[in-house]
Amino acid sequence: MTCSDIQRALPEVLDGGANGVAAEFETHLKSCPDCSDLVSDLKLITSEARQLAATEEPAPRVWLRIAAELRAEGLISDATIPEPAFARTSAAPRPVLLPASPRRRWSAWWLAPVAAGLVAAGSYVVRHKPAPQVAQQQAPPTPTTAPAPVTTPVTGTPAASSASVQAPAPQRLGRKSTPAKDLLASTAEPQVEPAPSAEDQQFLSVVSTRAPSMRATYENQLNAVNADIRETQAYVKRNPGDADARQHLMDAYQQKALLYQIALDRIQ
Amino acid sequence: MTDPKQGITEAEAIEQAKQGHESAFEVLYHLHKRRVYSLCLRMVANPAQAEDLAQEAFLQLFRKIGTFRGESAFSTWLHRMTVNVVLMQLRKKGLPVVSLEETLEADDEAPRKEFGTKDVKLTGSIDRLQLQRAIDRLPPGYRTVFVLHDIEGFEHNEIADIVGCSIGNSKSQLHKARLKLRDYLKFMRAEKAKTW
Repeated sequence: MTCSDIQRALPEVLDGGANGVAAEFETHLKSCPDCSDLVSDLKLITSEARQLAATEEPAPRVWLRIAAELRAEGLISDATIPEPAFARTSAAPRPVLLPASPRRRWSAWWLAPVAAGLVAAGSYVVRHKPAPQVAQQQAPPTPTTAPAPVTTPVTGTPAASSASVQAPAPQRLGRKSTPAKDLLASTAEPQVEPAPSAEDQQFLSVVSTRAPSMRATYENQLNAVNADIRETQAYVKRNPGDADARQHLMDAYQQKALLYQIALDRIQ
Repeated sequence: MTDPKQGITEAEAIEQAKQGHESAFEVLYHLHKRRVYSLCLRMVANPAQAEDLAQEAFLQLFRKIGTFRGESAFSTWLHRMTVNVVLMQLRKKGLPVVSLEETLEADDEAPRKEFGTKDVKLTGSIDRLQLQRAIDRLPPGYRTVFVLHDIEGFEHNEIADIVGCSIGNSKSQLHKARLKLRDYLKFMRAEKAKTW
């Protein structure tokens, strides 16, 4: 068997076929370093490639957009407004109906401008360089200081229309797996969970009052998105020229704004 | 398959999704999101596009979930739907889902000589990130076949059916994709070695 024969037989051999020539194939490999290297390299590539399946985590916004679209298309029944999945423990979904209560609308009036403020803050962070200044304005909080994102003065109108998002973000707001975040994950220092900001505390207080069963859900999601903001801020501070990281930071602010907006829709 | 957070099986979630339960859609999404998104990302090598495609794949699935009768595995159904969504997108953008090089290139007759990096060997290990980058560099046609076969585990007859090529074409492109990946990886390794 020659090197050319090896080339021709290689695809079948790698995919588990060509048993008839296996012995000749192996004999040639023992006497030909080039072919031996080629075969071992291709076997390595195919085995490593299999490890790449299902390794990437989509950003939380993907589910939010899907859920919004399902609602817009009427595929989600309006009669069932289920509690988010990770807050449930029983096997069957337990719809939680949250009746509107106009008498208490005042209690959450501030959520809309806060949501708008979050978007404005995110836009400012992303569009204004240099990033280190941004990082100073939105400095990652220490364990003794509250996170900064919602302290931006609110001057905007209520946040984007909530027509397409009428239910709480049902999944945990996990980490986005982007190259920037991968790098971040590999270089980030251990994070200590800071105390919630005054706005976040007020937000959770309102949720506790109006929809106590949802408190844990919103708190978990708020913590997750705040952690995302903090990590990305720290990364942007170290890498001010990374456009992807700045965009991710903007996305994180929008996630938080969306969370506030969803709560506003739900509890008013 | 069971969602550990919910204690609900996939079959139960499918039935509840047919009734319009948001939580059931959510369960199905979380069970399959990584597989679907990873597939999209590998095939288009663009995170933003991959998000859009994953979203479209799930939406198509959920719109048609009432027709799912369970003759095939749900994951297979979703997987196939995702591939179709991606390929449709590639075709819309005018990108070849089957490499045109197949009809233009003569078959290689001997082991390839790579970029003057003969002394660099892959044998031992491959950095995952480098492999991802090398796959991203593949021409779309080669990448499609490689992703479907070597990452996602489709058989050549399935690829031929999905992509619209012959089985022999699928095998040939896969082999060439592997060879190109080897070239890319050796080149990357050589470049990295120069910097040290």
